[in-house]
Amino acid sequence: MRTRLLIGAIGVAMGLFGALRFLQLDPEDIIDALIWLAGGVVVHDAVIAPLTIAVTVLVARVVPAGARRRLTVALVVLVTVTVTAVPVLGRWGARADNPTLLDRNYLAGWLVFAALVGLCTLLVSLLAGPLARLRRRDRETPVSQSAG
Amino acid sequence: MKHPPIPTEASFTSPLRHEHLTARIGTWVGISFGLCFLTGLVSHWYYLNDAPFFPPVRPVWGYRVTQGVHVLSGTAAIPLLLVKLWSVYPKLFGEVPFGQLRPLLVNLAEKASIVVLVSASIFQLVTGLANAAGWYPWAFSFRATHYAVAWVAIGALVVHIAVKLPIIKAAYARPLPEPASSYSEPGAGPGRRTLLRTALLASSVAVLAAAGSTVPLLRKVSVFGVRTGEGPQGVPVNRTAEGAGVLETSVDPAFRLTLVNGDREVTLSRADLEAMTQRSHELPIACVEGWSASGRWTGVRFAEVLDLVGAPRDAALRVRSLQQKGAFGVTQIPGSFARDPLTLLALGLNGERLSLDHGFPCRLIAPNRPGVFQTKWVTRIEVVT
Repeated sequence: MRTRLLIGAIGVAMGLFGALRFLQLDPEDIIDALIWLAGGVVVHDAVIAPLTIAVTVLVARVVPAGARRRLTVALVVLVTVTVTAVPVLGRWGARADNPTLLDRNYLAGWLVFAALVGLCTLLVSLLAGPLARLRRRDRETPVSQSAG
Repeated sequence: MKHPPIPTEASFTSPLRHEHLTARIGTWVGISFGLCFLTGLVSHWYYLNDAPFFPPVRPVWGYRVTQGVHVLSGTAAIPLLLVKLWSVYPKLFGEVPFGQLRPLLVNLAEKASIVVLVSASIFQLVTGLANAAGWYPWAFSFRATHYAVAWVAIGALVVHIAVKLPIIKAAYARPLPEPASSYSEPGAGPGRRTLLRTALLASSVAVLAAAGSTVPLLRKVSVFGVRTGEGPQGVPVNRTAEGAGVLETSVDPAFRLTLVNGDREVTLSRADLEAMTQRSHELPIACVEGWSASGRWTGVRFAEVLDLVGAPRDAALRVRSLQQKGAFGVTQIPGSFARDPLTLLALGLNGERLSLDHGFPCRLIAPNRPGVFQTKWVTRIEVVT
């Protein structure tokens, strides 16, 4: 318990230091930053999380049980990595005078990425059956030897 | 009118959610946040003009690595945090013990600490990610706000670890339990271990997709990298000559570099600089936004320029740019960096005359410093007294 209190106290001190720095910002900056602080939680809790749950319910109802695992893996990778690419996909930071910034075709990159995720999922699906059979045979072989 | 039922914690029935899964994903979130915070502190240190002691001048690629790690650990945290938040989302609808004062206060205190943690975490990742792509959709000052909220986020995280320590210990005391349905029959759906590995896989893919901006070997792989590393004379540009408003002043034949030490003043033309001993060094440009690129810079040793006005060896220098618009038109360089033998007042890059966008007529290039301090279009250097 004493360890936990100590860790907690360190955390509170660090947080207070940050809060103090925060309050030293310009008043307009504080208000704007507070809107962004609240906005992130609201967007996650009221939009992203319910949408995620809606999709999981849909997957559980529509997708056959055998395909759920690989589909879940594919969707989590596809969606969360896409989230990290939102600023480059939107190109909002692009500046006409600077062609060295955001100098890729990000839509093409995303399509390649999505196609790769799809391809890997397909490969896993195709290999799943034969691999499972192989594993079963491996498990059975020593048994038949000892019997013979 | 009937309103839709308000969910309770029990409304969420996914068999995958388990506090031991949350603890494990949380560990990875914690590792990435910790790395991001520490490298962020390092970066902040470089920006302080009045630090009791300054960052070291070696290794030359120091800031390139720490700032690359900063941006990439933040990127890595995004998929992890999303899965982590999914795993605890039902707690948002947990019962509040109204009626009993003590449990109510404890409950509210914990909820408040979680609100601070989640809002600060999302804020840091969103603002950092947007900043790396040169996107500023807000009005607040990025650096000061990102720094203040970083302390809030990490403080709230440390408090959270203290609160959850018993669960974390219990989680690592035994293997992750799988839900009965999916564990007994393979193919029935993902298990918890699958989900944990998937979060780590997504995190790694996100890093690979972004890292090419700073790791040359990954340039072709990183489809979401903010820069390919290409640019005039083989090096990308952050602020162009046009963006800085120096298209005319930089090519004006009347351009002179003025050196000032108290009442001693020396003015030099570009031709004067070209007549001095030229040296070439391979040095990286490493931006606070996480991208970096190496170049072979040619020019005059900065220390030899300073000697022309007899600047004291340990004096800091104020370096002024022709730049009219934007921040960092005037920067300060500590004596240790100014006097380093590798620090140049560069006149050329990769075998060519310095291009306008890289700071013609002359720019500062020092080892192991953030890009914004590698001042371009240098017009005045003053000894700071």
